[in-house]
Amino acid sequence: MGQGVRGISRMSYGWRIAATVLGIGLLLSGSLRMSDDLWPFGPLSQYAFSPAKDETIVITRVEGLLADGRRIDLPLRVESAGISRAEIEARIPQITADPALLRAVAEGWTSRHPAEPALLKVWLVQDETRLVNGRVGPARLVVLTTWELPS
Amino acid sequence: MLPESRVAILRTALYLFVIIDIHLFVRDPIPLSRHPELYQPLLIERLFHLPPPSVPLTITLYLILMVGCLVAAANVLPRLAGAVVAAAFTWWTAIGMSYGKVDHDHLALVVAMWVLPTVGVIADRWRSMERSAQAGWALKCIQISVVFTYFLSALTKIRSGGWSITSWPESSILMWAIVRRPHGLGQFLLPYPELLHLMQWFSFTAELTAIVVLWLRGRALLAAAVFWMGFHVFTLAILYIHFAPTAICWLAFAPLERLGPWLRRVKAGRRERARGRSARHPVPVLRDQAVDSGG
Repeated sequence: MGQGVRGISRMSYGWRIAATVLGIGLLLSGSLRMSDDLWPFGPLSQYAFSPAKDETIVITRVEGLLADGRRIDLPLRVESAGISRAEIEARIPQITADPALLRAVAEGWTSRHPAEPALLKVWLVQDETRLVNGRVGPARLVVLTTWELPS
Repeated sequence: MLPESRVAILRTALYLFVIIDIHLFVRDPIPLSRHPELYQPLLIERLFHLPPPSVPLTITLYLILMVGCLVAAANVLPRLAGAVVAAAFTWWTAIGMSYGKVDHDHLALVVAMWVLPTVGVIADRWRSMERSAQAGWALKCIQISVVFTYFLSALTKIRSGGWSITSWPESSILMWAIVRRPHGLGQFLLPYPELLHLMQWFSFTAELTAIVVLWLRGRALLAAAVFWMGFHVFTLAILYIHFAPTAICWLAFAPLERLGPWLRRVKAGRRERARGRSARHPVPVLRDQAVDSGG
């Protein structure tokens, strides 16, 4: 039982080879020289950095004050706030300059939790854990900025 | 020169996976489009002057993707549906990456979306008996993208460590990652920094040597595939990092063309067994027949 072979023209073959060379070239160049901006040809930089033995590890969080007096953690995930932690972390300088950008988290959380009391105020905070000689050391909480929701 | 049925089956698998992908993994374009002040377009979006995402735009992209993927998964209008899905999916994923965080697990899937339509119409779809260089090229592109996901990741680690082979494996990166996931299984590993360094050396070496997979065949290729699936399961358990869009593209290495003949053998086997069972039912003998008519 033989298998048929579909023919291929020289043009078809040619552009495929050219595209492959271009693609591989762009990918190598992206990883060796470029930044994330060049997605999908950018460097595959997930976890590609080297924290030192005495690094300070930072977890960025948003906390909120509810109308009933509770101060809770607003999880930075798409399903609970409409935006993820990585996206907030990428914007910390902008948010500290203009805390009203926290509106995105506040509105995202409020729209997904209609049964909860109203949000009055949000804080952008960081849990800092210091590494000492490569082992986990002391931790502390740092408040970066705060924003009051307009009533 | 590879079998076209492998492409036909892979099309079904990958286009259906894209539907899962936009619901489970890159599921934030629609919610993110509500925050135009956080939008930072990538080069690809600036180059093609793509409009900033709005809710109507992202919902439209979503609907185009749903319809396009279902059509393309059926191997119907592969060039048209495939081209539409390729463009829409690339834009959809780019939007997901334009709000601060760029993910790196979509290279193989995005490449697959662009090369699968180039194979054109496969007349007998899953049952095709044809081979072609067109199918071979498309599959090779996807295979290269899968392997490059690992290999370029190792190169990027070397580059970010100041062009040193040792700085990433000797760093506290795993500890950093585990501390940032306070409720994961990785907590049990925190008291053992030397073990974490060992794990870092192991994964770095695996990524750097991943390029050889392109030359493996048969059992060796299967072993490599099983290894990398195990690797992804491990990072999922410790760091909650899945790489499903890359993992699914490993199917481009698999001999999917054997699925058709295998299914036929299974069906034939079942038919044989059913016939065998009915033959064992006693057939009533009405009367003893004389061997010869004479007395």
